[in-house]
Amino acid sequence: MQKLCLAAVCLLFAGDVSAAQLPVRQVIDRAVTEYIQPAFTELDATASSLDTTLDALCSTPSEATLSTAREAFKAVVVAWSRVEFLRFGPLLDDSRSDRMLFWPDRKGIALKQVQQVLAEEDATATDEVTLRQKSVALQGLGPLEYVLFGTGAEALGNGAPFRCAFGDTIATLVATTAKELVTAWTTGDYAQTLLAPTAEATNFRNRREVLEALLGALSHGIEAMRDTRLLPVVGRDGAVPKPKSALFWRSEMTVPALHAGFLGLKELFDVSGIGLAVTADGAWIANSLDFEFGNAERAFTAITSPIEGALQAPDQMRALGYLVILTQSLQTLLGENLSAALNLSVGFSSLDGD
Amino acid sequence: MWQRRAFLKAAGVGFAASLLPGRAAALERAELVFASSIETAAGGYAAALVSETGALIAEVALPDRGHDITFSPLTGQAVVFARQPGTFAVVFDPKGKSPPVTLTSIEGRHFYGHGAFSPDGRLLYVTESDYEAARGVIGVYDATGGFARIGEFDTFGTGPHEVLLMPDGRTLAIANGGIETHPDYGRTELNLETMEPSLAFVDAPTGELVGLLKLEAALHQLSIRHLAVDMRNRVWFGCQFRGVSGTPQLVGYATMDGEIRLIELPPDQLGSLRNYVGSVAAGKGGEMIAVSSPEGNTILAIDAATALPISALALDNGCGIAADAVGFMASSGDGELVGFAQGEVTPVRMNVKFDNHLRRVI
Repeated sequence: MQKLCLAAVCLLFAGDVSAAQLPVRQVIDRAVTEYIQPAFTELDATASSLDTTLDALCSTPSEATLSTAREAFKAVVVAWSRVEFLRFGPLLDDSRSDRMLFWPDRKGIALKQVQQVLAEEDATATDEVTLRQKSVALQGLGPLEYVLFGTGAEALGNGAPFRCAFGDTIATLVATTAKELVTAWTTGDYAQTLLAPTAEATNFRNRREVLEALLGALSHGIEAMRDTRLLPVVGRDGAVPKPKSALFWRSEMTVPALHAGFLGLKELFDVSGIGLAVTADGAWIANSLDFEFGNAERAFTAITSPIEGALQAPDQMRALGYLVILTQSLQTLLGENLSAALNLSVGFSSLDGD
Repeated sequence: MWQRRAFLKAAGVGFAASLLPGRAAALERAELVFASSIETAAGGYAAALVSETGALIAEVALPDRGHDITFSPLTGQAVVFARQPGTFAVVFDPKGKSPPVTLTSIEGRHFYGHGAFSPDGRLLYVTESDYEAARGVIGVYDATGGFARIGEFDTFGTGPHEVLLMPDGRTLAIANGGIETHPDYGRTELNLETMEPSLAFVDAPTGELVGLLKLEAALHQLSIRHLAVDMRNRVWFGCQFRGVSGTPQLVGYATMDGEIRLIELPPDQLGSLRNYVGSVAAGKGGEMIAVSSPEGNTILAIDAATALPISALALDNGCGIAADAVGFMASSGDGELVGFAQGEVTPVRMNVKFDNHLRRVI
């Protein structure tokens, strides 16, 4: 086999940029133990609580139990938004990401299926085993939001047995999936594949590949936020805004979910110290990322209304448009500048799908 | 040297005269000339002609990031396509007699980054998406009439990517990647659970399907993306695996007789492709096939006759590959140009980022 010296340098890369301020091993360790594992633990806790509140709503329907269930749903949305960009390993296995949230749903498949289940009172949708065998579009946070906040949801406070049982079954599956996720990350061996990669492994053979996965999650997470959450709602190239294309508009969680996603990305970036795994020459990248994440935070403080109102208020609309611009800047900083400084291939030639 | 003279003759004196003095000299010295989309040192985008020594001969500014470039040796016209899901393509005239012309995708369609000329250079076939219907189409453009779009036909699949003209001069080989995207959601892949890639042979003059080849159903998440033709007129293809776990074979070939198969790469080399082939190229005469993985920083050369790998190159962000006189030249997102598999090019590094595809024009 021919190996050219110029390029063979990459084979020697053990994961560290020489003279980096922080070793890659520590970056990975911090990312896993200080962000990923706690974030999935939080998702598990909120999902478990949601399941309990749905039980209570169905056994004792009232305005109070409905309100509690709705708040518990919102807490799961926030916890989910902090992990959904970690699209490798446990989140992708067994279609867990799609089971938690089937999105984007361009053709409105989930809404049609949920309305059909409710109209027909399909008993197989109130059984964990049979619901799990159905389309993922019927199983996660999307249909549960419709049950709790969609047309006819107020009947839950007075007792709506089928609707409540359907919601309770979805909540149980959401809790089950969240439990599987935290188990895989904390007591299973998945974390070890990141912390101690081996040359024989099929997923991560060295720390460089782990670092690529982490940086890829950050970069692609920002891209997905722009392409699937912001632009379809704000409108591309001056198109008319579409508030009802927004994820979680019924529960008024569109903006809080976006905000939680930004905060999650920022926190993973901060606690992992991935921006410090470069030489002093690359220190500007982390500074720029800090600056842009700070700009995003300020933009969120300007968005005070639920999405429909925000799109009609010029100041808030401007802030949403500014977030679109910031996602572009953050993606370039992560996927190109930081990737290059870390000697990774997340960036220019290896974006998925070309 | 005869090749450069032939190119200059085809390009006309206007081309060399239009170059800056340093660049004209670079062209004069160049043995080989390649075209690629690039990101410039200043962060802009362009289509560039470069020599094998890393000299920049010419560049055409682009409004956004470009992807593949197709070239008609007969007319000397070149077209660079926007990276998918793109809405522009730029025709540039190496003769230097006319300024670049920008094409825009029509309402309801976007480009996928690849295209091919008819043998006489009069028609341009472009992979496009009818995105509301999630249907691939080939847009047909009149290269003799200002590149007016004069028709379209089906690719018989979703998410078409690379298209090339078979040596018979009339059949198009089309890689239907199988992945649905929609402009409302950028590059987000909308149908990974149900995707159904294929390799279609379509008769270009009539738009009729000659053959539609698919891998076994269990491999439905193996997106067929890039193509090259070998000495036996077999179409080699490189895939990107969009499933969650596993390392399926990624490289195969198909024939117009209806055969389609994946070759067996050894586990270590398959692993080094990281489930992602970004480009496929045939060497001179079609006896060698090269496949690249910018994800795995690896490029492999394969003996087409035996289907066995014969050479490997580790190249960070390496993706562009093109035949040189005896082997291959590779380019990388880090600006490197490297010869491999007997390729003669001494490694050089330019202060640009090369996009995924490299085409030899001299």
